[in-house]
Amino acid sequence: MKAFVTEALRRVTADYAEVRWEGVTRTRIAFQRDQLMALESSNESGGIVRALIDGAWGIAIFTDPDEIPEKLEEAANLAQVSAKHVTDRIRLATVEPVEDIVTVALAEDFRELPLEEKRKLVQHYNELILGYSEEIVSTNVRYTDSVRRVVFANTEGTYIEQEIPDITLLLAAVARRNGDIQQAFTSLGEAAGYEFVKDREEKALEVARRAVELLSAKPVKGGRYTVVLDQELAGVFIHEAFGHICEADFLLRNEPMRRVMQLGKRFGVEALNVVEEGYIPGRRGNTPYDDEGVRRRKVYLIKEGVLVGLMQSRATAAATGMEPTGNARAVSWEHEPIVRMRNTYIEPGEHSFEELLTGIDYGIYAVGAFGGQTEFEQFTFSAAYAYEIRGGEIGEMLRDVVLTGNVFETLRNIEMLGNDFELKGGAGGCGKDGQSPLPVTDGAPHVRIRDVIVGGR
Amino acid sequence: MEILQRAAAVAKEAELYEEFREGISVSFRGGELEKVKSEAVLGRALRVIVDGKLGFASTAGEEEESLVGAAISSAKHGDPAPFSFPRLEGGEPVQVLDPEVQKLSPDELLYWGTEAVRAVKEEFPEIIVDVSLYKGESTVRIANTAGGEREERRSYLGMFVEAQHVKEGDIWLLWVGRNVRKRSDLSPEELTARVIQYLRWGERVVPAPGGKPPVLFTPRGAIVLYLPLLVGFSGLSVHLGTSPLRGKLGEEVFDRRLTIVDRGTLPFGPRSSSFDDEGLPTGSLPLVEEGVVRNFYYDLRAAVLAGVEPTGNGIKGGLFGGGFRSPPTPGPRNVLVSPGDGTLEELIAEMTEGIIVEGVLGLGQGNVQSGAFSNNVSTGFVVKDGKVIGRLKNTMIAGNAYEVLNCALKAIGSEAEWCYGFYKSPPLLVEGISVVTR
Repeated sequence: MKAFVTEALRRVTADYAEVRWEGVTRTRIAFQRDQLMALESSNESGGIVRALIDGAWGIAIFTDPDEIPEKLEEAANLAQVSAKHVTDRIRLATVEPVEDIVTVALAEDFRELPLEEKRKLVQHYNELILGYSEEIVSTNVRYTDSVRRVVFANTEGTYIEQEIPDITLLLAAVARRNGDIQQAFTSLGEAAGYEFVKDREEKALEVARRAVELLSAKPVKGGRYTVVLDQELAGVFIHEAFGHICEADFLLRNEPMRRVMQLGKRFGVEALNVVEEGYIPGRRGNTPYDDEGVRRRKVYLIKEGVLVGLMQSRATAAATGMEPTGNARAVSWEHEPIVRMRNTYIEPGEHSFEELLTGIDYGIYAVGAFGGQTEFEQFTFSAAYAYEIRGGEIGEMLRDVVLTGNVFETLRNIEMLGNDFELKGGAGGCGKDGQSPLPVTDGAPHVRIRDVIVGGR
Repeated sequence: MEILQRAAAVAKEAELYEEFREGISVSFRGGELEKVKSEAVLGRALRVIVDGKLGFASTAGEEEESLVGAAISSAKHGDPAPFSFPRLEGGEPVQVLDPEVQKLSPDELLYWGTEAVRAVKEEFPEIIVDVSLYKGESTVRIANTAGGEREERRSYLGMFVEAQHVKEGDIWLLWVGRNVRKRSDLSPEELTARVIQYLRWGERVVPAPGGKPPVLFTPRGAIVLYLPLLVGFSGLSVHLGTSPLRGKLGEEVFDRRLTIVDRGTLPFGPRSSSFDDEGLPTGSLPLVEEGVVRNFYYDLRAAVLAGVEPTGNGIKGGLFGGGFRSPPTPGPRNVLVSPGDGTLEELIAEMTEGIIVEGVLGLGQGNVQSGAFSNNVSTGFVVKDGKVIGRLKNTMIAGNAYEVLNCALKAIGSEAEWCYGFYKSPPLLVEGISVVTR
């Protein structure tokens, strides 16, 4: 592959060009109630080439590896068409060419295990949940493992081969009482071996128990509350509400947004530090080299409450006079790299969980995450479940808790950070511009925020 | 179809699905062209039944040699197949291929994009405009050992315009878009005009009324109410008991003015096709008739489990599609909601004080199956004395879709529009939804 790709790149006429060819090996197992909905171990491959001519991109996506030279030419032709229409030309920040091979060593390599063994484990979890109670009517238990083998080469002499492992387990229970339907789940993901999904019986039972408990939980009453977020939800908050607006592609050709996201501006309280990191052993967001062949850099987004960094691709770095950070990621060979998060977290503070609850007359302790979404300053995130906080103590269980707000105000309204930091990768992933689900990791300690709007009836 | 023969040598039954997608897309960022992209992607999926057990595998690229082995191995460890592959026959061809789409050149797409940017910028020079356009064809071929082979070429064409209003302390992102199969069903001018209309409505931020004011869902905003239904009408959800509609067939569950049909055979419907992803003819399936639940949609598996006939709704990836990699599950085709009376303007004129919901955040992130929704209104407007007076911010709506569509529906508008590429709905005026605002 190397000689073929290198030769094709040598022949193409473009200011810059790159080839990414990927092979993916993937296992998927899914149960819903008594139905084995998926059982699959498949291989696929495909490629994408990009060419930059006069500051405009041409891109081609394909599945026939023999066509790499033709597709490079096609991308160059499309870039020519594109260049005629562009005045604000895209430039790429300079990076040193790299030659490297990154292989993966997994403690218990899932690639070597028979499908049968994986199926048995998933079925076991499924049966545990189903058998928990008469009120559990269905389940959604899903397992995936994959290794993405990426070959990346460009006209600047970079040639990288890397393997990216991923393993996930989703355990979900659906409970029903009369007309009411509630679900509970736990969602786990890491860049790890099979050991990661073993011995999760406790989690499965916990999910089943919670689904049944939610049938008796009170729907939250809409309003403004002081909320305490658990580590998982605080992680989703920092990812959704703040992380996305630190992706510098939003600032390309967008002068007003650059003014809003000016480095040096105060965004939060003194105690707030937010980090974006490309490699933490075992984590899902790990990106040794990004999909532009740029080596990872750790980026502080917020230091002591002040905006100090953004996530960059080569194009955004050049446009803003910054260094590329290794954040240009593609979800698969069917997509070009765009600026994405990797492992994003709020650094821990000093307070115990009890201290966070102290002094809250009536508030909400929101736990776990259904998900979240952002449109610049507006964000929402949904708690998997929640509890009342009454007089500084945890009270009754609540459901349907969706929190929303303006990120700039909310960051300023952070009152306390816990000392109980946790990192978590879910079974899903992040979505942006039609590229989903991208493996990421979020992290945070418990966080207390005042004046959060909660939707509800 | 040599793969099918190889599979059939080992498996009693086999089905091969092939999808070839070939198209062009262009994207503008910040008012300027950013990239032109081509794609030519061939994907395959194979289902087999070996010793009565079902197996599945998919592939793309140079790995196709592994497909047969992977599917057989899956079957070896699989569960008994609840169904047999059907003979591929019946149904009328549906119009899904428009030569006019094929003829469109990248230059024409670029022209539409440039014009959209120009039109928005002319009236709102400070607005940041992103546009994406795409077009192409997908060819789907299905063959199985029961006999018969089906093949269809389907056009697709789409355009999205996104406008960003960015000011310190007030950032607003608005988009409109459309997916079609027929060139003449896409009007770039109309989409752009819609963006401009919303920008005019939204120039000023005004406080939204709290409590339970009337809420007017535009066709796109109505996704908040339809999403739980689209999950709930899945024959699989009904069979598994995760749908509140289980046991409700023939019952009046919705407002009598509500009639919803899923029509896979609609000429040039964005999700129309002559056959579903299992090769069965698509059809026209009444879901709700005057408030009464009439049908659920089924693929082969769910139909057998429920003891009913499949409805031609086996879609790879179900509701949102998933391409060749996903096994089929029940999903809607073109969901058509019957219009009532009153244009959007007339419905607005009827409101003394209320809000309009066009776009929300957090769609599907919650207990969707139960019908519960709780969303931040990302694009919404405030109505006072029958007139739009501005844009709302920091506002959440919450309720239950099943309750709203049963007892809170005040009016169904007359003008239906395609949204999200799979449903066509008029605007809906409802009451009793909780609105929380600052």
